[in-house]
Amino acid sequence: MTKGILLLSAIPLAGCVQLAAPEKPIEINLNINIKQEVIVRLQKDAQDIISNNPELFPK
Amino acid sequence: MTRKAQIITTLASALAVSAVMSGVVHAQAASAVSAAKAAGTVGEQADGYLGFKGAASGALKSEVDSINIKRRAAYTQTATTRGVTVKEAAAAVGCQTLANRVSQGQIYQLTDGAWHVKGADPIALPSYCAQ
Repeated sequence: MTKGILLLSAIPLAGCVQLAAPEKPIEINLNINIKQEVIVRLQKDAQDIISNNPELFPK
Repeated sequence: MTRKAQIITTLASALAVSAVMSGVVHAQAASAVSAAKAAGTVGEQADGYLGFKGAASGALKSEVDSINIKRRAAYTQTATTRGVTVKEAAAAVGCQTLANRVSQGQIYQLTDGAWHVKGADPIALPSYCAQ
């Protein structure tokens, strides 16, 4: 009987969600990976930049 | 010849000389970078810019910096037109320069930051480049 009371009283405790402030500041990584589809779309523009500015692309 | 005409002629020839001189200076700067590329001290990077292998100094560094600033301006223009980031526009050019504009014996830098010497085989381009 005593065991039963102990078990019952333990249940609400286990159900508690404990929140603690993180020790480190939360970092959100905003580095966006270079996407292949974007690069593919830009191939013509890239070629134009090179051919229109030969002085910026010495051999 | 009137005095006015003389002044105009003098001005015109001065302008012509300065135009030729700036062209000469420009060609010299470009050839300095070309020479550095041939010597393996300057190379194309996957990020779309020129870079130095090792320490950079003097006139060569200022010329490389100048080229990179102008490249960035061109990349920024394309990025604005196409609605992409400058980094993406630059990387797209990097794919092109690595694929087509590095001669055998010249150095190039991949995304890991390591410099390599171009051999007989094509450069193994970063995975995001259109193959």
